[in-house]
Amino acid sequence: MALFGSDFLKRLEYLSLVSRRVFRGSLLAQRRTTQFGAGIEFADHREYAAGDDLRYLDWNVYARHGDMLLKRFQEEEDLHVYFLLDCSPSMGFGDPAKFDLARRATAALAYVALANLDRISVIAFADRIVADFPLARGKNRILSLLEFLEDLPLEGGDTNFGASMQEFVRRNQRVGLAIVVSDLFAPDGFERGLDLLRHRRYEPHVLQLHDPREARPDLLGDVELFDVENGSTRKVTVTEKALATYRRLFDEHQAAVAEYCRERGIGCTQATTATPFDDLILRMMRVAGAVA
Amino acid sequence: MSFAAPLALLWALLAIPIVVFYVLKIRLRQEPVSTTLFWNRIYDEKSPRSIWRRLRHWVSLLLQILLLAMLVLALASPYFLWEILQPRRIVLVIDDSASMRAEDVEPSRLDLAKQMALAEISGMRFRDEMAVVAAGTQPRVLCGLTGHERTLREAVDQVEPTDGVTAVAEAVELGRRLLADAPHGKIVVLSDGRFQDAEKLAKDEAVDFRTLGTPAGNVALTRFQVRRSLVDPIGYVILAEVANLSDESAERRLEIDLGDSPVDVFPLRLAPGETWSKTIEKVSVDGGHLVARLSGEDALAVDDVASAILPHRRRQRVVLVSEENLFLRMALAANPLVDLERITEPPASYDDDALYVFHRVVPEVALPRQAFFLDPREATDFWTVGGELADPIVVEQDEDSPLMQHVRLDNVVLPKARSLKPTGKAQTLAEAVSGDPLFFAVEERGRTALVLTVNLDEGDLTFRTAFPILVTNALGWFAGESGELQRALACGEVADVQLVDGDANADDGAASRFAVVSPTGAVDLLPNGSTTASLGPLDTCGIWRVVKVPVAEDAAEAGDEKLVEAANAPTAEVVTELAVNLASAQESDLRVPSELTNAGSPTVLSAGFAGWLNRPLWFWLAAMAFGLCVAEWFLYQRRWIG
Repeated sequence: MALFGSDFLKRLEYLSLVSRRVFRGSLLAQRRTTQFGAGIEFADHREYAAGDDLRYLDWNVYARHGDMLLKRFQEEEDLHVYFLLDCSPSMGFGDPAKFDLARRATAALAYVALANLDRISVIAFADRIVADFPLARGKNRILSLLEFLEDLPLEGGDTNFGASMQEFVRRNQRVGLAIVVSDLFAPDGFERGLDLLRHRRYEPHVLQLHDPREARPDLLGDVELFDVENGSTRKVTVTEKALATYRRLFDEHQAAVAEYCRERGIGCTQATTATPFDDLILRMMRVAGAVA
Repeated sequence: MSFAAPLALLWALLAIPIVVFYVLKIRLRQEPVSTTLFWNRIYDEKSPRSIWRRLRHWVSLLLQILLLAMLVLALASPYFLWEILQPRRIVLVIDDSASMRAEDVEPSRLDLAKQMALAEISGMRFRDEMAVVAAGTQPRVLCGLTGHERTLREAVDQVEPTDGVTAVAEAVELGRRLLADAPHGKIVVLSDGRFQDAEKLAKDEAVDFRTLGTPAGNVALTRFQVRRSLVDPIGYVILAEVANLSDESAERRLEIDLGDSPVDVFPLRLAPGETWSKTIEKVSVDGGHLVARLSGEDALAVDDVASAILPHRRRQRVVLVSEENLFLRMALAANPLVDLERITEPPASYDDDALYVFHRVVPEVALPRQAFFLDPREATDFWTVGGELADPIVVEQDEDSPLMQHVRLDNVVLPKARSLKPTGKAQTLAEAVSGDPLFFAVEERGRTALVLTVNLDEGDLTFRTAFPILVTNALGWFAGESGELQRALACGEVADVQLVDGDANADDGAASRFAVVSPTGAVDLLPNGSTTASLGPLDTCGIWRVVKVPVAEDAAEAGDEKLVEAANAPTAEVVTELAVNLASAQESDLRVPSELTNAGSPTVLSAGFAGWLNRPLWFWLAAMAFGLCVAEWFLYQRRWIG
């Protein structure tokens, strides 16, 4: 079954309509940027300086008070939505693979954004940025996006979220919404990457995916663990006690991600691969306020 | 060290597949995981134990190899040379006589002896052999020399208490024969020492004498017999003896019952060691089981009851054919068992069950089956009549005949006695100086006749006490009750029993079987066609019965079980009964000789403990293999459950 079949496209359209109804008044395209410019909405005044365009001088103020003040307007422009998609080999784990759900969710969110005249870009990362889909606007770009996502391979080694975000924020681009789609199984942690986004005035949102077998593995006895991300192996004897410890550590990790995001006002949605992508999108919008 | 089965060492080749499979096994299955972040944190925390983790797989293999080695060695049955050179031969002599029933030790002396015997069996070393001999009544080998523990234990379990007397000395002799010339032979005697020469036996170096019991006191019926009175046709005499076999005085009550009727009760107060004995005269036409019971409880119950068989007296129909003789009539009528009729002429026909007494009358035609002729004046088939004897004097009388018991005719004047000549073989009971028989018995062709040639109207015979005694003897003789005493047997005795009376039952011998029923209800069938039997040794106190059981046509299909059931039925025809009592003061005396007293229980414990130490080498190898199994199981569980 194709990743983005006709059924998927139908559900995208439905999702677009539903999201419009549900999020009326707070759709992606109505977000205002913090840029001052040639908009129509008054923002504030500043002192006139030589060379300023006299068209923006507030003559009413000059007439009443004799002060030369220049009117400033908030510039309205398209919102930039960046999808930071984890394509490290660990995303290929699960049945269905986390990567499949991640791509579907990315496609769905991108479709909603494109439908609302926003600009979207998809950046695939692992230990670094491995591929990207350049900024695009308009629903007519959805097919090329789907093609990009479908062809996106799992590659790279251990997830290096911090390095990848470092590389991302260095790009000379406008800030916007940064939706991170990942399992956040990064040896060096997830905090540095999210902090970089925040500090560079991006508005990060986390969509963390995991497979139920990752949360509750069914291993027992003498096994050789094979890390699909870096190909390393480790011979261990999995006991009931070790399993219990594993479950505790995993739950602590999930809780740490949720707590980190909550404390910093970052939207966070955690889901398993058993969740249908459209339910995931609605839940993400409704609960986490991903596009407030 | 050598091996009994060296070929079993080939099983060691199993080590090869074990190692191969183990190496294959430790190639662990690979499990892909999305990240080892969490696993690393878990196992890196346990780094101090990592050396053990790395080694334990090889330790496990080592344990398996060791396990195989233990099992292979156990199968090869290794042994040391000294085991071959020093095997012990032990004969366990267990006293199961009546005194071992005593309950002065828990649960009883015999049970304690059995426990000690089992402990001794547990203490056997590999290659030791043991035999079990029971020493009650007569020694019995319950199990010959064997090293098989289970067989020996079963033999010990077979030992049941008997009521017989101790036969330890004989059992020890039997043990000596079993041991023959075994170099490390030993006889272990488990007894209370209540038999002759116990002290001497205890000093025997080849005998390990282990005494059980305490100096417990006991009051016992040591004698109990009954017999019919010699002078009183319905009287009987009881001889009872009670002994206080303790060091303290005792108060008891002796109750004697005949069937369900009480006969007498004697309150007894016995000093330590005192023996009370009494002869009691009673009367009863009825016979039956005479039972004596001592009230109260003591350590041994079997000697508190004794039985005896009192012969039954049948009434006797006597027809007196006589004109009249007062003395004769009164002598006959005085017997309470006699139903007397008097007629003057001989009857036309005779009743075979009746005794006909002819006084001066002789039937002309035939003689009855039983006839007592007094002063016959005519000849018959049995005798011819001669002349009168003037004053005959009895010069010789048959002292041994029951007809002449307590009868003295030495000085009796017997004028006008007739001279009678028996035509056939006759038993002369009293003879005149002339050689003429004055009193004789004739038995011929199924007829019995007793002839007294004395003229009762003359002389002083009828005035003498000898006359009624003579008449009573004659009545008893005709009644066939010669057995005045049916002796109660001592436990362990052998009794000879007449099963078939002459040739009367020869015809139906094939249609019936004789069986002996013990007081406990156990039945022993006697061989087909037996006319006499030697029963015994009778080692259970109580009433033994010999019964005649009819054999049904389907007996072949039914087997002996039906006969056994019929023998125990109350309707079974009783041929004879035998009373068996302990009647042994030595056996009833439970006081263990002080020279023989030793502690029994510690022996039980030490022998039981020694049993574990004396196991063969293969046992310990197998035990170690089991231990290794447990260790491997522990490692396995530790690996998986943590």
